[in-house]
Amino acid sequence: MGVLSTLMRGLVRGADRMAEFTSKRGSRTHNKGRGARPTGLRLSSRKFLSIRTMIPEFVVPNLEGFKLKPYVSYRSPRGTEPPLTAQSVFAEVVAPRIKKDFEEGTFSKDQLEKYGFEPNQDGKLFKLYPKNYVR
Amino acid sequence: MRLTALLSMAARVVIPKDYRFGTNRPWTPAAKRLNPPGKKRRKVFVEPIAPEDWSVLRGDTVEILKGKDKGKHGKVIQVFRHRNWVMLEGLNTHYRYIGKTGDYRGTYIASEAPILLHDVALIDPSDRKPTDVEWKFTEEGERVRVSLRTGRIIPKPIVERRDGIVPQQWKDGLKDTSPEDTLEKTYVPSLKTLEEEVMEKLGIQEKRRPQRSYWY
Repeated sequence: MGVLSTLMRGLVRGADRMAEFTSKRGSRTHNKGRGARPTGLRLSSRKFLSIRTMIPEFVVPNLEGFKLKPYVSYRSPRGTEPPLTAQSVFAEVVAPRIKKDFEEGTFSKDQLEKYGFEPNQDGKLFKLYPKNYVR
Repeated sequence: MRLTALLSMAARVVIPKDYRFGTNRPWTPAAKRLNPPGKKRRKVFVEPIAPEDWSVLRGDTVEILKGKDKGKHGKVIQVFRHRNWVMLEGLNTHYRYIGKTGDYRGTYIASEAPILLHDVALIDPSDRKPTDVEWKFTEEGERVRVSLRTGRIIPKPIVERRDGIVPQQWKDGLKDTSPEDTLEKTYVPSLKTLEEEVMEKLGIQEKRRPQRSYWY
């Protein structure tokens, strides 16, 4: 018998013991979650205290005058976008400022903070490293 | 392990070495009838043609050089690379009955037979005669087919989409973004992250900072 037909026969006759036991299997009293994070605290009196700040909230800006729509027309050609790298962001944002200051003569190596240099990530809400936000 | 093994086998297609390819797709019952698991047939020898040397594309107009319909021009519908076959529309046909049930003998239709690549030749658009074709590069760096007799470039055929949509004649619906809006470059580079920019725009002030936590 071929391998495929043997497998099919085994599947029809016996159960798949290696399948994941999810909340969809088991009896109706079997309560199992699917990995959702808790949105509050479990108190010692076995009650649940819901914390508003732990529940995620979608922040949607005002979409008045927004031209983009869910789908793209078939007529549009393939556009190109230059790859966004740290170097390109630096060249577009910071380099002109440094160049202007250098030409005026006000550039100094100790005052790099005004061009956006951050020596450490303390005190910031969205730290770049270690990344503490989910994109 | 049975279900996972089955799924992984389905994902990785294994073709036996002496599989005989026909005109039907491999998952159809006709192809399965042609290749039952224990069959041993004489090996079919196929001239190896490198993928970059293949010059006939789907949608091309070619001329048949040998066979019943010698000298006729036809459009290529299907290309079978594993046997160097080409199926033309309505040419090289034999007739058969289809849909036979009970006493009804079925509909008499013409079905095309595949032709070897060696027996067809691409047509030169300038004089409409069969030519040999070679792949060459233009000055812009584009790889095109050039006919050896006249030196004319044979353009790539326009293949219609399976769903029948012609992109140039498409009328935008309510939920379609127009091409101008799609290709508009509105990105303003800045050193802020997306979240910081959104907070600034919406005027959200967040003075609290998350508590220090450690994980191992």
